[in-house]
Amino acid sequence: MTAVTAAKLAPVAVRGLRKSFLDENRGEVRAVDGIDFDCAAGEIFGLLGANGAGKTTTLGILATVLRPDGGSASVMGHDVMREPDQVRRSLGFYSASTALYPRLTARETLEFFARIGGLERDRVRGRVNELIARFGISAYADTRVEALSQGMKQKVSIARTVVHDPPVLIFDEPTVGLDVLNALDMRKLIAELRSEGKCIVFSTHVMSEAEKLCDRIAIVHRGRIHATGTLGVLREATGLHYLEDIFVRYVETAGG
Amino acid sequence: MNRPTGIDWRAVGVLYARETRLALRDRTIVVNSILIPVVLYPFLLWVTFTGITFVRGQTSDLTARIAAFGLEGGLGGHAALRKELETDPHVSFVTASSPAAGALDVRRGSLDAVLEVLPSGRAEAALQVRLTWARSKERSTAARERLTTFLDRVRERALKREGASRGMDGPAWTLFTLEVRNVATGREMGRFVLGLLLPLLFVVMVSMGCFYTAIDATAGERERSTWETLMTVAAPRSSIVVAKYLYVLSFGFLAGVLNLAAMALTMKSVTAPLLARFGAGLDFTVPTAGVLVLLAGALVLAAFLAAAMMLFAVFAKTFKEGQAMLTPFYMLATLPVGFLAVPGIELTTPLALVPVVNVSLVVREVIMGVFRWPQIAIAAVSSALVIAGSLRLVVRVLSAEEVVTGAFAGGLVAFLRKLLRGRSRPVSGKRAS
Repeated sequence: MTAVTAAKLAPVAVRGLRKSFLDENRGEVRAVDGIDFDCAAGEIFGLLGANGAGKTTTLGILATVLRPDGGSASVMGHDVMREPDQVRRSLGFYSASTALYPRLTARETLEFFARIGGLERDRVRGRVNELIARFGISAYADTRVEALSQGMKQKVSIARTVVHDPPVLIFDEPTVGLDVLNALDMRKLIAELRSEGKCIVFSTHVMSEAEKLCDRIAIVHRGRIHATGTLGVLREATGLHYLEDIFVRYVETAGG
Repeated sequence: MNRPTGIDWRAVGVLYARETRLALRDRTIVVNSILIPVVLYPFLLWVTFTGITFVRGQTSDLTARIAAFGLEGGLGGHAALRKELETDPHVSFVTASSPAAGALDVRRGSLDAVLEVLPSGRAEAALQVRLTWARSKERSTAARERLTTFLDRVRERALKREGASRGMDGPAWTLFTLEVRNVATGREMGRFVLGLLLPLLFVVMVSMGCFYTAIDATAGERERSTWETLMTVAAPRSSIVVAKYLYVLSFGFLAGVLNLAAMALTMKSVTAPLLARFGAGLDFTVPTAGVLVLLAGALVLAAFLAAAMMLFAVFAKTFKEGQAMLTPFYMLATLPVGFLAVPGIELTTPLALVPVVNVSLVVREVIMGVFRWPQIAIAAVSSALVIAGSLRLVVRVLSAEEVVTGAFAGGLVAFLRKLLRGRSRPVSGKRAS
C-alpha cells in the first residue's frame, strides 16, 4: 500500500470483508459476509450483535489471527494480509479470552508486552511505571498475576494492551465475565482512551454498553452489517428510542 | 492466519527470555529438566549399592536347612563330610523320611535342599552326590550355592590327595587347566561400563528436558488462554516459533549436559572409590575430544527432539492432551535405545541415518574411546536434515489458521493427511463467532 493511499484511509478501514468456515454439521458457514466500516481516530466504533453474528471473526481478521476469504482490511494503512507484522505493531487487542501469564508479575507482564511491542529498552521502565500509576496497579505491581483478583487482572490486561501506545485498539466483548463495578471501570478506561485520540473498535452484545460508550454503532447479524450510525441516526431511521428495540427491528427486517 | 514473515531476532530474544523465566518458575519443568538429571545418578547408585549390600547381607545370614542322606557312615569316610558341614553355623540339618519326601519339602519351602550321597559301586573314595533344590525359592538358591561351594572344596581336596598318592602334582593330575586373563585396563573397563549405561539415560534425560517444555510452549499456552494473546503481539509469527523452539531445545540440552556432568562427578568421586573397595579398579574418565562430541551430541539430540515434540504438542489444547500426544513419540524415541545397549552393536552407516539411535550410538562409542568419523559425519548431516525438515513442518503447522485458532480436531497424522489432500480449511471444531 502506498503512503498516499494509506493517508486517505481511516486508521481502521474494512471493505467487503468475507470469511467462511466449514462446519461438519452445517457445511459452509458464512461468518462474515461482506462487511464494510471505517473507524476514525478518537472514535469508538461499536459492533453490536448477538453471539455468532460475526463480530469476533471480524475482529480476529483485523488482529491478523484469521485470514479473510475476500475483501480487505487495513490498520493504519497496513493491509492485514500483506503486512500482518505492521498491523499488529499498530494495534492493541483485548478480549475476554486473551489471558495473562500467571507466573509473571504485573510489572514483568507490562515490561514483556512493552518490549515485544517494539519499545526501546531504555523507554520501557518509564512507560511501565507510568501505566502502573495511571491504572492504580502500584500496590500489586510485583505480585504474580496468578495471585491477583479478577478486577486487578483486568486492569493489568488493559495496561498491557496499551503499553506500546498503539494508535488502534480492539476490544472484543471486554466486559464478559466482569461484575458490575469492574465492567464500569472498564468502560471508563475505554472512554479515557478515546479522549486520548485512540481509534477504538469495540464489540458487544450488551445494548446499554453500546449506548453509553459507542460514538457509532454497527448492527451485525449473520455476518452482515444491517445499519451503521450514531445512536441519534439509528433512532431517526427507525423511529424507536431504545437501542434494544432498534436492534430487534433490524434483525427482524433481516429475517432473523 | 497469515504466513510467517522474516525472523525478528530482537523479538526472538524477548520471547525467549519470557519463556525461560516462566519455565524456571514452573515446578514440573524445574524438577524434570533440571533436578532429575542432576540427582538421578547419585540416587540410582545409592539405590544400587544399598540394594546389593542388603541382598548380600540377607543371603549370607540365611541358614540353609538341609536334609542329608548317605552321610551317616555307611560309606566309610563320608561321615567326616557331615561333621565338617556341621561346623558351618549357616547350615542346619533337618530330618526327612526319604529323599523323595525331602524333595517335596523343598518344593513346599519347609526345607532348602536335599544332599544325597549315591552309592557309586566304584572306589571307596569316589563320591557321587545329588543336590535337590528349587530355583523358584531364594532360600533354596542360597542353600544350593553354599553347598556347591562346600562340595567343590571337598572335591579339590580329594583330587590333590589322590594325585599326591600317585606322585603327581596338581596340574599334571588335572591334565587341563584354564587360565583367564583380562587385559582391559581399568580405564577401558570404566568406559565400557559407562558406554552400556549412559546412552539410554542420556536420551531419556534430553527427552524429558524437551517433553514438558514442548507441551508448556504449545498446549500450555492454550490451556492458560494466553495463546490468543501471543498471536496478537507485535512480533512476526516466525519469531514466535523460533523463540519457542529455542526454549524447548535449550532445556533439552541443559538436561543432557547436567546429566552428563552429574554422571561424570558421581562415577569419578563415588562409584570408582566404591568399586575399588570391592577390588574392581575402574576409571571412568572420558577422553577430552569425547566431551566435545558428547556436548555436540546433546545439542543435536535436543534439536531433533525439540522440533519433533513441538510438532506433536502443537495440536493439543490442554497439558493432559499434550502428554497423551507426546507419550507415544517419547516411547518410540527412547525404547530402541534400550535395545541398543546390548554389546556388539556398532555405529554402522545405516544406523547413522536413524535419528536418536545414531546420536546414542555415537555417545556410546565416544565414551568407549571409539571415533568412527565418517559415520559421525553421516549422523550429523542426517540429523541436521531431519531437524530442518521437522522445523519446516512446525512452521507450516503453525501457519495453519485452524491450528492456531484451536479449531483443528486431530493430531499430526490428521494434519498431514489433510495437507496431502490439499485442503486448506478447517473441517471441524469450533469457530469464532
